Amino acid sequence: MAETKKKKETKTTQKVSPKEISGRITKTAENMVDQINKLQDPEFTTMQRGKSNVVWDEQKGYLELGEKEITRTFLNIAHARKFMQTALIMTKTQDYLNHNKTASIREIYYELKHTIEDTKENTFEGQDESDPIIVDLEHSVDTIREKLNLHANPKGTLYGNITLLDRMHHNDKFNASKLGRGGWSIMSRVEPEEIELTDTDAEYCLVVETEAIFERLIEEGFPKDNNCILIGTGGQAARGTRRLIHRVHNELDLPVYVFTDGDPYGWYIYSVIKQGSMALAAHSEFMSVPDAKYIGMTIEDIKDYKLEAVTEQMKEGDIKRAKEMMAYPWFQSKEWQSELKLALEQKLRIEQQALANKKLDFVATHYLPEKIKNKRFLP
Amino acid sequence: MSKLAEEKAPKTKKSDETGSEIIHGAAEKLEGQFKEHSVAEFFKKNKQMLGMYGKVRTLTMIIHEYVTNSIDACEAVGILPTIDVKIDELGEEYYEVTVTDNGPGISKENVGKAFGKLLAGTKFHRMIQSRGQQGIGASGCTMLSQMTTGKPVKVITGKAQGKAISLEMTIDPRHNEPKITDLKELDKEFHGTAVQAKFKGILYRDSDQGPLEYLKRTAIANPHTQISFRDPMGQKFTFKRTHNEMPELPEEIKPHPKGVTVDDIISMSKVTKGRSVSGFLSNDFDRMGAKGIEEVKKRVKFDMSKDPKQLAWDEAEEIIKAFKDIAFIAPTTDALRPITEEQIKNSLQSIVKPDFLTVMTRKPTVYKGGFPFQVEIAIAYGGGAGRKIAEETHMEIMRFANRVPLLFDQGTCALTKAVQTIDWKRYDIKDIENTPVTVFVNFISVHIPYTGAGKQAIADEDEVLEEIRLALMQTGRKAGVYISHKKREAENQLKRLMFYKYIPEIARALNVITKADENKLKVNLEKMVMQKLKLEEAKDQEELKKAQDTLASDGNSVIVDKSDKKNLKRGSKGDNVSEKKKE
Repeated sequence: MAETKKKKETKTTQKVSPKEISGRITKTAENMVDQINKLQDPEFTTMQRGKSNVVWDEQKGYLELGEKEITRTFLNIAHARKFMQTALIMTKTQDYLNHNKTASIREIYYELKHTIEDTKENTFEGQDESDPIIVDLEHSVDTIREKLNLHANPKGTLYGNITLLDRMHHNDKFNASKLGRGGWSIMSRVEPEEIELTDTDAEYCLVVETEAIFERLIEEGFPKDNNCILIGTGGQAARGTRRLIHRVHNELDLPVYVFTDGDPYGWYIYSVIKQGSMALAAHSEFMSVPDAKYIGMTIEDIKDYKLEAVTEQMKEGDIKRAKEMMAYPWFQSKEWQSELKLALEQKLRIEQQALANKKLDFVATHYLPEKIKNKRFLP
Repeated sequence: MSKLAEEKAPKTKKSDETGSEIIHGAAEKLEGQFKEHSVAEFFKKNKQMLGMYGKVRTLTMIIHEYVTNSIDACEAVGILPTIDVKIDELGEEYYEVTVTDNGPGISKENVGKAFGKLLAGTKFHRMIQSRGQQGIGASGCTMLSQMTTGKPVKVITGKAQGKAISLEMTIDPRHNEPKITDLKELDKEFHGTAVQAKFKGILYRDSDQGPLEYLKRTAIANPHTQISFRDPMGQKFTFKRTHNEMPELPEEIKPHPKGVTVDDIISMSKVTKGRSVSGFLSNDFDRMGAKGIEEVKKRVKFDMSKDPKQLAWDEAEEIIKAFKDIAFIAPTTDALRPITEEQIKNSLQSIVKPDFLTVMTRKPTVYKGGFPFQVEIAIAYGGGAGRKIAEETHMEIMRFANRVPLLFDQGTCALTKAVQTIDWKRYDIKDIENTPVTVFVNFISVHIPYTGAGKQAIADEDEVLEEIRLALMQTGRKAGVYISHKKREAENQLKRLMFYKYIPEIARALNVITKADENKLKVNLEKMVMQKLKLEEAKDQEELKKAQDTLASDGNSVIVDKSDKKNLKRGSKGDNVSEKKKE
């Protein structure tokens, strides 16, 4: 075994205990009670989200949430229902924290859903009503979902020579290259106090969009031959997967290379991993990897690898998306502007799996090694 | 019915031969052959021309014929009409209709004419406000029954004196003669007429165009009439009489020179008592004085002293041309008999039962220079007003011509167009199509300008449209004051409920987290909601008071919903809140 890399301390989100978070929820509720008993309209304050309150910090290299706050009050016809829902989410998350339980955001939705007395109305009509309230609470008590003992559906896989320790499950210690071809399913909560990254001798972390390419690379022995770890996102990267990529990069000092389809959807997957998303701008600090590099697919690859016969036409949605992306402040680098421009000119997209057109193992034997060796990346 | 039947009977030999006005045009083509075709045969072949098409429509038209005859017969002798209608389903698209009235009854001699002889209308229209014959008459129904079932129509009729008679009737279509069978004298006393007839190929529907709606509307426009109805499912309905006096009978007026055609002049000239054309004109026309005759004389080339019976078509054309040039005084309008605001108000309250109602009878005026007419409008809102489709209530337009409901051809009717061209938003009525409102329009005239032979839609004469629009705007303004207030009130109620329903959930949640007294939280939250809404309500109450003052000074509007106002007051008392929750 080669020398193991020295582990760095990762910047953990907050050193806060469940008890402290629970206390913040109590404080919020007590404020409301005080207001009500003084016959004042009770308030709930959280951060405004969405494009209007997202700031691109060029220095830090990721998206951040701005300073704008919103206050929700009960006596506002447009807020009343959400106010009620917020109170319910507060109660339930505190209950999880106090009893050391974790739940999926779908589970909390089902736990809280019931018909309101004397009405035909449900407390929540769908998960799309409870999910945003959860984010409201995260921001209001200044924490992340994971600290509220909530998690989304896990998605994403890890494979390669890296050893992990699961503190929440018998202190299991395992190497992600010894779990069969499937690798390790990345959990939605991968906080350092639960999952420890003990050591690795890998030289970099390769993130791939599609499961098919993930499996192809394992079948071809790519991680072993190239001494890297492999993370499959299966489309847009989930919170847990992004957190893990962030930790791998920061704690183990591994460069991160991202390999997606050559289309606006794939490029945005890269962008989210690198500089965060608008929806979770508040958490970019703990999730983004501003140093990440983009391998491909690029429109130039089409010419370079003679893939003209296996391109696809961009659809109307792709064109619209590409135009939007061109305008984002975090897509203003020369390289990305010219890539997007080229794509829009030719109206072409190219999938990762199109490389199979050369040969099934072409991606593992030629494409990736050449790109990485020659450092042919987009920033 | 006897008097009516006699009036309808052809008066001249000529019209007896040529038959109804519908046949008139066809007659020229048929010429010699025509004599072999009787009115009844013609009917048999062309019933759709007489409005008898569509299974639902045909049944409604049958009910219309019988009911109109009954009301007319009662009115002719000054009896307040009480009419009973039953429809029984005998088989698939096979029904029996029974209509009984308390009218004067028909003598043995006249019953044949009333139910067994298709009658020809007089050639030129009579200038009188009448329910008119929109279809085929009671005899047409006999014919239709016989054609579709082969069965006779049963009639029982009794006059004030003497025994009632019962008989069965068919029509000999070749000779257009009634055939009476099974004539019996009954032992019991009966005052009125009952007719029972079977029909096939028709369909009962409880729809906008079905018999129930027709009878309901007939009752609304004839408040002196009581109508009871039993539908084929056995459901019973009664539309009570709300006015206990006979309406004044309309008067017949002479035609105004601006309201006649060449053909009218020719027909009138054959029966005039005038010995010269000048005499004919001054005798038989409204507003035709010596000066008018002088003016006509100046404009025609022939000698006006000639015998009017010798008047040629060209000469009649000259007269019409002259009439057009000459300025006559507008026709007399005092021959019209509106239902009146008071009576419309009462009957709509009794039958539609709205929360709010405003009524207007406009002064009579004239269209096309020659025809007096008058418009009556009512707008009813809330309660039973509007047309219910599934769970939702939409606007409903009730159209009437001389008190007769018009159920068909709504889209092409001037009355509908007038309603649709009003900018209701100006009166704070947003989206009137989806508002629970009934718009009542009664068009009264000595001559109704129907758009076609179906006689279910009124032509959009400029003056007619304008008059209806004016009336709608005046009533609409009043209704708008009420409706917009009502809507805000309902919104306030909804708001309160909206806040209230979340209070227990919030109080419980905050209690779980903070251990604060759940009940105290509930009471305080409810107090806050009431405080907030009271502020909004106070503003609203002020507006309501203003609105009520406006409406109170106007005798033609009624606000019916007293119960609602109690709720409103009660709701504004914060202390009653928890009590109310317990209920």
